[in-house]
Amino acid sequence: MNIDFNSELIAFRAEISAFLDEAPTDAIREAGRKVTSVFADFDQATAWQAILNAKGWAAPDWPEQYGGTGWSVEQRYIFAEEYRKRDLPPLLPNGIKMVGPLLIDLGTEDQKAKYLPGILSGEDYWTQGYSEPNAGSDLASLKCRARADGDDYIINGSKIWTTLAHRSNRMFMLVRTSDAGKKQQGITFLLLDRTDYPGMDIRPIKGLDGFPEQCEVFFDNVRVPQSGRVGAENDGWTVAKHLLTHERGGSAQSPTLKRYIEHIRDAARDAASPFGGNMIDDPVFQRDIGELEADIASMEHFEKLAISGHEIANDPAFPSMNKTMNSELIQRISVMMTQISGLEGLSLELDALRIGANVKPLGTYLDLVSMPFYLNSRATTIYAGTNEVQRDLIARTVSHG
Amino acid sequence: MDFSFTEEQQMLRDSVSRFLDKTYDFKARQTLVASEKPWSEQVWQQFAELGLLALPFSEETGGLGGSIADVVAIAESFGEHLLVEPYMSSILLAGRALALSDHDVAQDWLAKIIAGEAIAAFAHEEARGTAAPEFVTLGAQQSGGNYFLDGEKRLVLNGAEADILVVSARLSGVAGEKSGLALMMVDPKTDGIEITSFQTIDGRSAAHIQFDKVQVSAEQLLLDDAYSVLVAVISDIMIALSAEAVGIMGALLGATSEYTATRKQFDVPISSFQVIAHRLADMKIAYTKARASLYYTTAIAEAGQSTARDIAILKGQVGKLGRAIGEDAIQSHGGVGMTDELIISHYHKRLIAIDAMFGDSEYHFRKIGQAHD
Ligand SMILES: Cc1cc2nc3c(=O)[nH]c(=O)nc-3n(C[C@H](O)[C@H](O)[C@H](O)COP(=O)(O)OP(=O)(O)OC[C@H]3O[C@@H](n4cnc5c(N)ncnc54)[C@H](O)[C@@H]3O)c2cc1C
Repeated sequence: MNIDFNSELIAFRAEISAFLDEAPTDAIREAGRKVTSVFADFDQATAWQAILNAKGWAAPDWPEQYGGTGWSVEQRYIFAEEYRKRDLPPLLPNGIKMVGPLLIDLGTEDQKAKYLPGILSGEDYWTQGYSEPNAGSDLASLKCRARADGDDYIINGSKIWTTLAHRSNRMFMLVRTSDAGKKQQGITFLLLDRTDYPGMDIRPIKGLDGFPEQCEVFFDNVRVPQSGRVGAENDGWTVAKHLLTHERGGSAQSPTLKRYIEHIRDAARDAASPFGGNMIDDPVFQRDIGELEADIASMEHFEKLAISGHEIANDPAFPSMNKTMNSELIQRISVMMTQISGLEGLSLELDALRIGANVKPLGTYLDLVSMPFYLNSRATTIYAGTNEVQRDLIARTVSHG
Repeated sequence: MDFSFTEEQQMLRDSVSRFLDKTYDFKARQTLVASEKPWSEQVWQQFAELGLLALPFSEETGGLGGSIADVVAIAESFGEHLLVEPYMSSILLAGRALALSDHDVAQDWLAKIIAGEAIAAFAHEEARGTAAPEFVTLGAQQSGGNYFLDGEKRLVLNGAEADILVVSARLSGVAGEKSGLALMMVDPKTDGIEITSFQTIDGRSAAHIQFDKVQVSAEQLLLDDAYSVLVAVISDIMIALSAEAVGIMGALLGATSEYTATRKQFDVPISSFQVIAHRLADMKIAYTKARASLYYTTAIAEAGQSTARDIAILKGQVGKLGRAIGEDAIQSHGGVGMTDELIISHYHKRLIAIDAMFGDSEYHFRKIGQAHD
């Protein structure tokens, strides 16, 4: 795979660049500069998705027949690079990266016809209802129950850490439909058409960065149609495991990581070193960022091999390795950002972080986002299966006997 | 050598701890931080009555003649309770600087500060931080009998509420020179001063302060050739901040060991997983190292034997180990560690803020590596 010296790809890059330069509104760009989480500002990410969808570019990784772009892996990588270069906000991952690919793989034709258009356009936001207060790492012990009743299920119980449930209109969730056999066997995967069913109560949880991103969701005799089931009753664990490979693996992360490095380098050009001169010339900074860049480069090489179809991606540990590497790199990047910001990272600027707030940040954009990004990024090694659990999964692929 | 607290220090420590247990539990602290008030007037007045505001000052200046070890004895508890009172800014930074001058006006201010009637702030760090005082650039241009201050101080704790500012400034020379530095007493209402106040991630009130040709009289010059005083004040605050951090680290270790022993996944307490147990062990090692360095350094500082290198070791270690303990505590808690609701995340934010002030661990480690004494 060589994406740099090919005239067709050069033309492709120019086409992408022209669109990305012109299409996003100012508010969308602002949302991109103010990203402090994998979840960008809800309204602007959604607005941006609508624009991309109108162009046919909302889901480059999807098969063409379902609305994908039909681009080669090289083209998709170029798209990701140009996208990141402009600091555009990432699309909310739940639809395009999670439930969409799942339905393409395992949904019925009816489900695909009903749900894929709203997922592609961003009109629907699907919140993920898996975790429960007592079922985190041990997800299979979940207790939120669905009892069959005619053509419906009646749901009772609760979910927690349900990201942006308070902004959602749909939910994909795991429920317990049987207590027989192993705990994994009695789980069913459901799609909910609404998140305002009678009996549903959604309560936001304020995070350590000061923003309510996760929620608690309570179900009190909530009646939903059985037609929303994906896969067979009691076979939801298989469905969920399939979806996890999309959540943990999926598209290339290295363009995002590399972009952060560029931002750190830019900031280091202006930031004074406590030893005189600027950080960019400080040998300790150079060594530290050099090591980080080398690790990001390895991640990039790994991703490039994988998307070109190299056997390295066939490793059963691939999704877990990908998730572990990416999350830990994000955390290291975020630490470096706060180190560059120094004291400037200590001011709490929730208002300036809001889109269209018209509140001037006290320092630079990097200083504005570095601390909330660092704090929020502590979650990357917790969500989508903690890194401890990932390491257990990776270990299983190397141990003998 | 004896590195333990004396009986008196132990009593002081216990009484402050008991007082804060009653008045400054996490809920009360969070209510305070969410309110408009930058700190608790009542607690501050009680601190004055308990003599805590007089503690570190010599008897001649109206203080109790306490040592750095006395400050350390109470500061661990400040950390554990996540105190947002202006003790660091008004007492240990600006107050200390005022006390080191025999200037009459300074002594008057100090009396009011000790009585809890006035607050002083220490306007020193600039840009993204001024780990080494010799890099102060805020200029003090002499003209006639006056000085004119030009420049900016960043993240001045309690800068917006202060009745008097103690400002580090450069009379002569350029950034990087230890000579030519001064400390000035400046009324924050003086023309040309612009104060932008905000809250910090760790619940404190702070301000960026812009000085635009601010005229101060020769009387307001607290000290010229202030480098060694700056170093002395900053060394002590680094010890006090380290004590706060060690108090927090102990609390984080306690909270995490309790949580992981009670939180069950896969039908067993998560502390029974080796990765969690070993992380708790690492947290304990980190806490023990930081605590040992704190008590050792405090004792040699009290004896007047500490070097810049000793202080750098303490601050660097506390910065690094504190961050590690905070991150480990959050990771061990899982999702609930990410919430505003638990004290865990607030402890971590305070540790991160402590690391960033007066030079982070990266800075201090490089300093240690450079030192040849
Ligand atoms: C920001 C954020 C967003 C999230 N978004 C969603 C969402 O949209 N939908 C959703 O359903 N969930 C979501 N989650 C929940 C997430 O999946 C869980 O937090 C995660 O699975 C861990 O579960 P827990 O929080 O209960 O921690 P626990 O499982 O209690 O884990 C606590 C600690 O114990 C460790 N541990 C647990 N079991 C083992 C073991 N067997 N071996 C070794 N160590 C172990 C963990 O690694 C962790 O360090 C989100 C979480 C966060 C933080």
